[in-house]
Amino acid sequence: MSRNQAATAVLGFLLLLLTIGAVVRQSRQPAIVQITPTLTGRPELCLTCHQGIEEISASHPQEAFGCVLCHGGDGLALDADLAHAALRGGSAAETTGNPSDLAVVEESCGGSACHGGTAENGRDHIHRVLTSVQATYAGAIAQVNYAFGQQPDATARWGVFAVQDDVITTNTGVPFLAEFSPGPNAPEAVHVFDQDCQLCHVTAVPLAQPYFFRATGCAACHMVYENDGLYRGGDPTIAKDEPGHARSHQLTTAIPYYQCNHCHNRGNYSLRQMTFLERDDLPGPHSLSAQAQRELDYYQPIAQFTLCEWELDCVDCHTNGEVMGDGDIHSSQREIQYIQCQTCHGTLTALPLLTTIDDPEHPAIISANLNPNYSVTVGDTVIATAQGETFGWVQWDGKRLMETGKVDGRLYEVPLIMGSACQQQPDEQESHYCHECHAYEREIRD
Amino acid sequence: MIPNMSRPNFFEHLHPPTIPAREARFRYTFGLGGMSLLLFLSLVVTGVPLMFVYVPTAVSAGEAIRTITYVAPYGWLLRNLHYWAAVLLVLMGSLHLLRVALSGSYKPPRRFNWLLGLIALLFSLLLSFSGYVLRWDVDTFGALTVGANIVRQTPLVGNWLYELLVGGPLISDVTVVRFYTWHTLGLSAPVLLLLGWHAFRVRRDGGISHKNEIGDERLQNTQPSISTPRSSHLPRISRRELVQREGVAMLALLCLLLGLALFVDAPLAPQVDLVTGPAKAVTASIAAPWFFLWLQALLRHLPPVVAGIIIPLAVIMALALLPWLWDRSETGTAVWLNREGRLAQIVVLLITAGIVFLTAWELWG
Repeated sequence: MSRNQAATAVLGFLLLLLTIGAVVRQSRQPAIVQITPTLTGRPELCLTCHQGIEEISASHPQEAFGCVLCHGGDGLALDADLAHAALRGGSAAETTGNPSDLAVVEESCGGSACHGGTAENGRDHIHRVLTSVQATYAGAIAQVNYAFGQQPDATARWGVFAVQDDVITTNTGVPFLAEFSPGPNAPEAVHVFDQDCQLCHVTAVPLAQPYFFRATGCAACHMVYENDGLYRGGDPTIAKDEPGHARSHQLTTAIPYYQCNHCHNRGNYSLRQMTFLERDDLPGPHSLSAQAQRELDYYQPIAQFTLCEWELDCVDCHTNGEVMGDGDIHSSQREIQYIQCQTCHGTLTALPLLTTIDDPEHPAIISANLNPNYSVTVGDTVIATAQGETFGWVQWDGKRLMETGKVDGRLYEVPLIMGSACQQQPDEQESHYCHECHAYEREIRD
Repeated sequence: MIPNMSRPNFFEHLHPPTIPAREARFRYTFGLGGMSLLLFLSLVVTGVPLMFVYVPTAVSAGEAIRTITYVAPYGWLLRNLHYWAAVLLVLMGSLHLLRVALSGSYKPPRRFNWLLGLIALLFSLLLSFSGYVLRWDVDTFGALTVGANIVRQTPLVGNWLYELLVGGPLISDVTVVRFYTWHTLGLSAPVLLLLGWHAFRVRRDGGISHKNEIGDERLQNTQPSISTPRSSHLPRISRRELVQREGVAMLALLCLLLGLALFVDAPLAPQVDLVTGPAKAVTASIAAPWFFLWLQALLRHLPPVVAGIIIPLAVIMALALLPWLWDRSETGTAVWLNREGRLAQIVVLLITAGIVFLTAWELWG
């Protein structure tokens, strides 16, 4: 064999191998899953990799919304880096690919037809959250500034970001907040507060520790994280053993108490030391029953609870308007917390305020449609609040007031003050008045 | 049908019955010209199928590239082959130019063919640039923006050239169609003809070196001429041997090309949004395609007219006039690093060093 022939044979064989390699690679290409969401009309291949991911919610069906409308990114790229390069709210590589982060929420969830509308059409969710104390942190900032002599009263002047409100509807609303930054002459404590204490609002990324798992923005509340931060859904690309993922890719209004606890019951802060004192009694022993674990979760050394305060979930009492705000910028969460014992239990002489639903478009029905655990239909009589909100999950059946747990669907009969031995006066609405008789004796049972 | 024995066909013209063994030595030419030709043909073969999928509009171009890359069967392979063939063509074409300059193959009677080759190389660079733009992502959009604005800096005809290139005052659908048409027809067809002519002229000019076949240094001063009779006592190789050697080089190149296409994917950046595209692209650190990084380095430090127009034109002129300006010898001596061509060799090496240095500076500086 001549040199040319030998080289031809070797190279020909190599070329054959490479050709086989190309065929093998083609055969390993993923089977394309393409959808064309009706709202965008543009094809997306995301489900090729994310096949099995939960639909985000019944209100955002995959066929209509797809993925890109909310998440951004490159819906036609099947290379993870390229596909995720322009994701809203951080790339997936940073594990915070969260389109509801308040920095991008207007792009992802906004628009007047979605959640960036007006109070009149009930679509002002983004404005309400942006101005709420949960986002601005204005209450804590005002309190600390006031306590350390940096402002003459406790009225909010600063937030973690600047925000303004052109339409003030309450007498405690302030027109705008400037972005908080302690002055050069501010006491050390205020500087420490600025550096260390900015984790407690929905724009901040929380501590990356068990019990603190949550996202930012809308997802901080509406995307449930388990205490261990592990994903339990069906998307094969999300690690099941890597903490820091939501329970599943689903928005919910059935927000369990532990989601709130990820911020609100994981410790306490010391103003004197200007430090956060993390609870050290979690998790409880493995042998604890679910109820005992729940009691333990709720337990705060200085706190007392009535049965309803820990047996129900937070969202059974605290309303949309309280939690997400009323669209005004307030100086303290107290200014918009108005749910009292009498909202459900009535007074010595009166039943709670009740209203009968007469409109199929009533907010009580719309809210009920977003929650799998209770329903409201025209003709139902439900609790109304002084502010005009309704508790569709607490219904008067003619004789009794029945509450359906928004999170677990459990049915409770709501005890009424009228006709009972309770002597609570209408002006004694703070919980400590209830605790005098009804403080629940917790025992952490095995 | 009786074959016309008196006139060789094009293939036979390129492969005469025998050629001097010296000219067929791999270490004399490294086969760079032939391999460039094969790469160009590969580009045509892989490019035509891509044309069936590519949609030349501002909105759909990015989508079409993704369809090719991720959805169409073997689309990834075609695109990778097309990409790597283009990269190798620029490299091998440039090395071919360097080889011709350093071995004196540009000398008469091959001066005209030097010009043909140079034009083909320049067109190939424009082809590569237009192909890069047709990727239509944030990186290539940056290159297009910069490139189009350099064109606008041209004295007197700048605005006219810009509108000719972009198809209006702003980058739009028309721009994509312009680049698409230049790429698939306006530049590629002339290059195909130029390369055919270039190869044809190699034989018409009497081979690739046309050194006097007696071959010794004493005869170098003899006036060469196409009619100089070939001496028969020097070793020659047959057509069969030549084709076999070319076959080996072709197989080796195809292995390299397929290997690269199989294991290294052609780059792709996020899709361009015509509203936000320019702002994003300007912030990108590297916008130019790799073969124009040296120009980008110049642009960072010199006025656009100097860096984008005067210097490139000067380089082109210095190369085009090489056989007339830097080496006026008429001997036709095609020997590596021959003494007559010293000045021409220095000029070409300086240009090469400058381009390599500027590219490295831009990449790692």
